This record gives sequence, structure tokens and C-alpha cells, in this order.
Amino acid sequence: MKKRYVRLIALIAAAALVVAAYGTAQNKPPAQTGRLITVLNPAVANTMARRIPLAPRLSTLEGKTIYMVDINWGGPEAAMSIFEEMQAWFAKNMPSVKTVIKIKKGGYETDDPGLWQEISEKGNAVIMGVSG
Amino acid sequence: MSRHARTLEQKFKIPTVAAAGANIVGYATGYDFQYSNGCPIRYVAFPFPVAGQPKSIHKQYIEGKDQVSGKPIMQTIVDALTLPPTDKEKVEGVPPEARPEPRLLPPDTEDNLQRLFKDKDWTDYNPIILPTEERVAAMLKCTSRKPDDVVKVVNWPGGARPLTVEKAAVCAVMAGAKPEYFPVILALATNVPFGNSTTQMANMIVVNGPIRNEIGMNSGGHALGPYNEANAVIGRTLTLMSKTAGGLHNRVTAWSSQGNNLQYNNLCFAENEEGLPAGWDPLHVQMGFKPTDNVLTVGTGWTYIASVGSVQHLYPPQNLMRDYMQALTANGSGATILMDPTVAGLLKTVHGFETKAALAQWLSQNVQKTAASYWGNAVVASMAEPLALQGLEPYATWQKAPGDAMIKPFNNPRAIQIVLVGGKTQSTWFATDFRLGRGVLINDWK
Repeated sequence: MKKRYVRLIALIAAAALVVAAYGTAQNKPPAQTGRLITVLNPAVANTMARRIPLAPRLSTLEGKTIYMVDINWGGPEAAMSIFEEMQAWFAKNMPSVKTVIKIKKGGYETDDPGLWQEISEKGNAVIMGVSG
Repeated sequence: MSRHARTLEQKFKIPTVAAAGANIVGYATGYDFQYSNGCPIRYVAFPFPVAGQPKSIHKQYIEGKDQVSGKPIMQTIVDALTLPPTDKEKVEGVPPEARPEPRLLPPDTEDNLQRLFKDKDWTDYNPIILPTEERVAAMLKCTSRKPDDVVKVVNWPGGARPLTVEKAAVCAVMAGAKPEYFPVILALATNVPFGNSTTQMANMIVVNGPIRNEIGMNSGGHALGPYNEANAVIGRTLTLMSKTAGGLHNRVTAWSSQGNNLQYNNLCFAENEEGLPAGWDPLHVQMGFKPTDNVLTVGTGWTYIASVGSVQHLYPPQNLMRDYMQALTANGSGATILMDPTVAGLLKTVHGFETKAALAQWLSQNVQKTAASYWGNAVVASMAEPLALQGLEPYATWQKAPGDAMIKPFNNPRAIQIVLVGGKTQSTWFATDFRLGRGVLINDWK
């Protein structure tokens, strides 16, 4: 009787272990089972910009007119003294260079066709800034 | 700035050199050149920051060295204008197509794929649901749109990335969305990417109409907290779509100095339309939509100030809103007040504001700050000061005003929005500087 009782207990314990093992296997994430998954790619292909070459450069700046264009990054006062210091540098080191400081109309992203036209008629080169 | 330099180089053949802080130059000559501008603009790089520094620092910059080449800055400028273009700088025409992205990723284990998605910077670094074909197909069943329909070609910051219905579904699965959320997510996809700026820019998402309740969005208690699946997941999807289709990667195309924690969920909630006092219209009705329309509205802003406590009878709530709004930038006169229905009830019954518009009008007329404080914000200065210099009012008058002169910076009451959200536990509110855009009809995406 006692022997049969022990055997029954052992059988129940074994069954419990099998059930537990089966349950664990069912809950295992794929990584633990090593199962391979196929998923969609969230990345979106990007399109590159059409390439535009630089304009020819000047052989020298001597005697030329350089426009210095403030684009209004951080407001018109934010970087004006950068241009004033550049102007002073040219006056001291390349006095034949004429410099003209202009503040572009609108915010820093806004186009200013009138100024570009003026520069094309009266200027030879441009220093544009200052963002950052 | 690169686009203006390109105009001068391309259209007028004027040699141009661009000057910027070192933080900008890497982006300008890298990603922006490749995907947006196409013209190899020559840059000189100052130490960062440039804007707002005193003259003495600017003088040092001019006497110092270019942060990229290490040569004296003024010599670099002279060289940029005089040295002939290199062969690379002479390239013209359409570049080779970018490498196409395969629809499916190579099969791998869940752990490896979770790691891959993080390594590729496609997530918010919380775990995602992997977008299997079955899960994405289930999402796609909740729209009549075809998988390859393009919701939006995302061209900011640079390039052109077609965000298709299927790609949006992939992000929706990743975020943990239920399929029934998908029409809302497609409406949201029309606003990709989220705010991307060197500032702490963030977004706000407001949903109006019957769909709020149909998909279980929360407009009541804790609607702005982590207590609702739809609010949490829909908001998160904007982040994932912005990082994938938006192509946003830290220090490559996303340059916020501090970032903003709001970008994890993008302040996604539904308006508590049921709590509106009589005469106070829901946000979408104010915009001209029908009450039965389902509408998603996205705003952009930075600041989020809580009332902290409930309304006190000795100090009317509109007065405290006025006080707190003095701390907002008032950029473009934009503000959004998020208030519990109990606050709206008090404002109407005790203080006589019969409509949202009446409160917005009052705030517009009563919030004041000094001209110096208004102009002291760089975003305002960038956006409004050029308008002042062109003589546009009221900016021209404000720009000429003494620094200690008081101005009314929320001059456009229509840019002040009132949105109800909350569960009537306490009469609290938020004053924010979010400026809401035009709503999108969600049913167009069903």
C-alpha cells in the first residue's frame, strides 16, 4: 500500500514537471528558441540632391567688392560684429578691397532676390553668415 | 544659408563663402550637401556659439583659426573665394541613386532584431514590437489606402523620403498600436517629422471627434500621463515615424542641444469634449470642422508650465494664466492653454467667459512683458526682428520701444488656443507656447 502511494506521488511529480516544461517552452521568446523571424524594414530610401558646381573663383580679391550678407540667424544683432571685424581686417590687410555689409530681408530662410540682383550688379564675391 | 549661397553660385556665378559655427558646418557640408543643397558650398567654421556673443569674442574668432582646416580664418575666406574649384566641386547633374531599402530585413532572432533596430537608431530605445508581415497586414486592414500609397514625401531635413502607408504601418506595429488606431496614425503621418531644431522644440497631438472614444483615447483623468494605451502608443508612433521616414539621427540630422523629453510621446491626448461648458466649442469645431468629424491637430512649441495647484477664489484663474504666460516666448503670438473641465466651468460661470475665444481675447489684451524680455529670446529675434526692420507692425513699434516698455506680445488672439483635458479631480491647467496647426480629417485615412 505504502509502495503504491509513493509510486503515485512520483507519477504526479513527473507529470507536473512535464507540464511545467511544456509551459515554459510555449512562453519562451523566439530568441531563446533560436527561431528566425522575418520582419519589414522601417527604413525609407532617401533621394540625393542634383549636383550643382561651384562658380569660377576670382584670381585675386584686390580691387574687388565683397558683399557681407547677414542672414539674420539669431536676429540682426546676433553676429553683426563678426562682419564689422572682417571689414576691419580687409581695411588693414587688403585695403583695395571694398566691403559692403547688408542685412538680408526676412528670416534666415527667406529668399531675398532684390539683394542677390544688387550683388550681381555691384559685387564680385560674397561672405554669407553667420549661423550657429 | 546654403540655399542662399547656392543661388549666388548657380544663378549669378558669384563666388561665395559661408561662415558658420562649427556645429553647423558638419551638417551643411555633409548631409545637407548630399541630400538637399547639392552645391559644395565652401564654409569657414567659427567656434560655437557665434550668435549672441560679445564683440570681444567675435574679434577673437576673426583673429583665430578655421575650426575645420586649422588655418587662419581670414586666410581661409580669401582662399575660398580665390582658389579654383576642385574636380569634386565641378561635378554637375544627377548623382547615382541612393541605395534602395529592401522591403524585408534578413531573417534573424528576436534578440538580434531588437538589437538591430536600436543600432540603426530606428527606435526610441524602448523595446518595440517587431513588424512581422502578419502584424503589418493586420494594421493595413484598418485603412482603405493601398500599402504603397505615399502619405507624404518627407523632405526635411533635406532629401526626399516617401513615407508610404506600409511604412507607417510598420512604425505603428513597432510602437505597439492596435489596428483600430491606424487611421489616426496615418493622419499623424502627414505631420512627419516632428519638431527638429537646435532648440528644445517639441510637438503636441490633439484628437477630436467620436473616434476618441471609439478607440479608447483618454481625455479625462491622467490623460497627459502614462495611463492610457491609445494616447501612449499613437504619440510614440510620431517619434518612430520621424526617426525612420524622417531620417532623424542625433548629431547627423537632429541637432537639438538639449532635446526634449516630450518627444517620447509628443503630448498626445484627446480633448475632453464632454466636459466643455455650453458655448465652448471643441478645438476642431473652432477650426470649422463639424462636431461629428474626426480630426487630428498637431502643434509645435517648447514650453509647458503647470498651474501646480487648483484655482483659488481670491485670485481668478485668468489672472494666474496671464502671469504665467509672461514667461512664454509669444513667438508668433502662439499659445495653447490645456485646462481641466472644472477650470473652464469656473471661467464661464464665475468669470463670465462665454466662449473660448472670449478668454483668448482677454489673454491677448492682458498678458504683458517688457520689450527687452520679448526680444531677448533668440527664436523671437530670428523670426520677428527681420519683420520689424521691414516696418511690419506691431514688430516695428516693439523694436523701437525702450527695453523696459511693456508690450502685449500675444497680439493675435486667434493664435491662442484653449483645449480641455482632465478628469475633474482638481481645477488645474497648463500654459504652453505650443502653436497648433490646421487639423487633419482622420476619416480621409480610414
